[in-house]
Amino acid sequence: MKLSEQFTKETSGAAIPFIAFCIALNLTAGQITSALKIPIYLDSIGTVLTAVLVGPLAAATAGAFSNLLASAMGSPTMAFFAPVSIVIGLFTGFLAQRGWFKRWYTVVLGGALQGVIAAICSAPISAYLFSGVMMAGTDFLVLYFRSVGNSIMESVFYQGLASDPVDKIITYLIAFILIRNLPQRLTGKFAGASNIPSRSV
Amino acid sequence: MALPITLERVSYRYAPNTTPALSDINMVLQSGTCCVILGPTGSGKSTLLHLLAGVLAKHYPESVGEGVLTIGEHRYTPFPEGILFPTVALALQDHYVQISGIRDTTRKEIELTLETLGRDPLRERASIDRLLQQLGIAHLAERKPTALSGGETQRVALATILIANPEIVLLDEPATALDYGAQSRLKLLLQSLRGTSSVVFTDTRIDLPLDVADRFIVLHAGRIQFDGNRRGFLEQLPDLGDLLPVQDWQEAIHEVKGRQDSPLRQRILRAAGLP
Amino acid sequence: MVPDLRPKLAFVLLLSVCAFVLSWQVLTLLIALVLLLPFVLPTYHPASPRARRLFLRFVLFSVALSGAIITLNGWMIQSGEPVDTILGITLYSGGLLFGIQTASRLVLLSFSVLLFFTSTPIPVCINALQQSGLSRTVVLMLLLTLHFLDTLPERIDRIFVAQEARGAPVRAGFVSRTKAFFSILSPLLLSSMAESVDRGVALELRGFLLETAPSFHTLPPAKPPSPVTVLLLTASVLIVVFSLARWLFP
Repeated sequence: MKLSEQFTKETSGAAIPFIAFCIALNLTAGQITSALKIPIYLDSIGTVLTAVLVGPLAAATAGAFSNLLASAMGSPTMAFFAPVSIVIGLFTGFLAQRGWFKRWYTVVLGGALQGVIAAICSAPISAYLFSGVMMAGTDFLVLYFRSVGNSIMESVFYQGLASDPVDKIITYLIAFILIRNLPQRLTGKFAGASNIPSRSV
Repeated sequence: MALPITLERVSYRYAPNTTPALSDINMVLQSGTCCVILGPTGSGKSTLLHLLAGVLAKHYPESVGEGVLTIGEHRYTPFPEGILFPTVALALQDHYVQISGIRDTTRKEIELTLETLGRDPLRERASIDRLLQQLGIAHLAERKPTALSGGETQRVALATILIANPEIVLLDEPATALDYGAQSRLKLLLQSLRGTSSVVFTDTRIDLPLDVADRFIVLHAGRIQFDGNRRGFLEQLPDLGDLLPVQDWQEAIHEVKGRQDSPLRQRILRAAGLP
Repeated sequence: MVPDLRPKLAFVLLLSVCAFVLSWQVLTLLIALVLLLPFVLPTYHPASPRARRLFLRFVLFSVALSGAIITLNGWMIQSGEPVDTILGITLYSGGLLFGIQTASRLVLLSFSVLLFFTSTPIPVCINALQQSGLSRTVVLMLLLTLHFLDTLPERIDRIFVAQEARGAPVRAGFVSRTKAFFSILSPLLLSSMAESVDRGVALELRGFLLETAPSFHTLPPAKPPSPVTVLLLTASVLIVVFSLARWLFP
């Protein structure tokens, strides 16, 4: 099946407004966590929700546009990391289609795998484009790895390995808990309805 | 032009082995009619409108239906596969979701419908202006359509579908959640649609219908309990007390029998189609 | 009228290419140029007061950040000669130079992207994307995203207040706050999904997303790129080729 056909199949009816909501959620979830003083960012929660409920291509699109919009809204370097978000969307969608979002332990395992993949994808970008400087707290970690004698690339990758899996496991689990509590009359409207644990309402 | 609608032995279930949402519906609506579907919540009113608009087959793929639906020349067995816009236009009960949220003025929001239909909004400026006037929202033309009051939003939502000149207009509980002023404007609007479009609307109360409708259908648990004109409906009122809030009207009719020249008596008699 | 965004995009591309291949002295000059542009060329004027504030705030943030990057690198990457000792911290020349190069690259990259976005309102970007052939579905999705971005903070606030009024422990200990987090995110997702379903139906009821729906007719087809665009693109390509050649044949 051609990509455009696949995309059209994923994004019928209710999916379009939902993906739009998820992109907006990627960009505003930080507002909730900071209001509650919870130290997580959740900047890919919308991408993960789209991947599970709609499909991989829709999630890749959502991820890419989230990064571009984040750039436009004051974090200019985010645009360069759009490829990472695309991979997150595709990989999560791939896992979801294989039923990894039906049991909690596969969700945790998937989150860990996703974290490693995200670290691999973002390391070259942050190493070559930004010499490891991400304008975030994790920069200290990169500098630490460098000061003990690693190359920039290695340092950025180790930093990614240290923080990404935890972040992604948390995001995956939150998405899983949220999705499990959704009534079937809503999830039934989305292409990814068969990706999630069925539950009688 | 308005189109006639015919339903023959139409039944519908949202999923196999569930209680039917509609059973054995038979009705013939002449073109240009203004028909109200009355009934308590869950009686199948909305389902009937969604069926006529072509929403059901597409959005509830598991659902099952039987019977024949005829709209104008088209026969559907049992229902249309896709949305019938712009022939049939349905205004949803929640009018806020009908404002797309992607245009920053009411005028542009209305133009969006024309663009979708492949029509050039610039050429139809005059008809947009006329519609805005008719709906009493000319002053909202340059306002942001997502920041209006409930009644205003409803009229803008109506404008976005009426601009397509639908032959059949369906309105899902248009009077719910409107204040008195907005209700009387809605009444005028429904009256102005008469003749140019066939109108079917739903309601849980009978005040607005008695002012505008010429056909009354009462649904209960997916079945037609009553089908007739205004006079027949008023005669049946005592039997419909379990389904509709008819108490006020019954008391009024009862009370008015004693008085000769009260305006209330005249209004009620006029509404009832009696001399 | 949809403005032609290609010269601007080509300029951002040229600056990005420069950021990777040129030395920090040139980059500093380019940064100064980018800072001057909003005052000189009308195309680069901030699109709104909010955009102006955003740009200024980011400039200040970058100054502080550059200082931090340079100092930290000078301190932790101990290569080259010790330059100076401030407050007991010895700074090394190699680390300092690396810090300066990194900071100038990062600042130029950020500034050029930000220059584009602060001078171009997002709806204009979306129009331009549509004109260059982006599918109607995606355009609709992006426009709806703007709508949600507009309404989401208020909706989050409302749910927050409602949950607080119901006694959700939004100010208690960490575990309780995490529970409160779900009591906010869950209704938010639920209501937004329900709204999405209704919006999807409502859009279809107005003729959107129909297989038969024709495309928008309001936008004229894109014109061929302007000479400025071609010039900027050529310059970017030349710089890439030149630096590749220098790297391959030193």
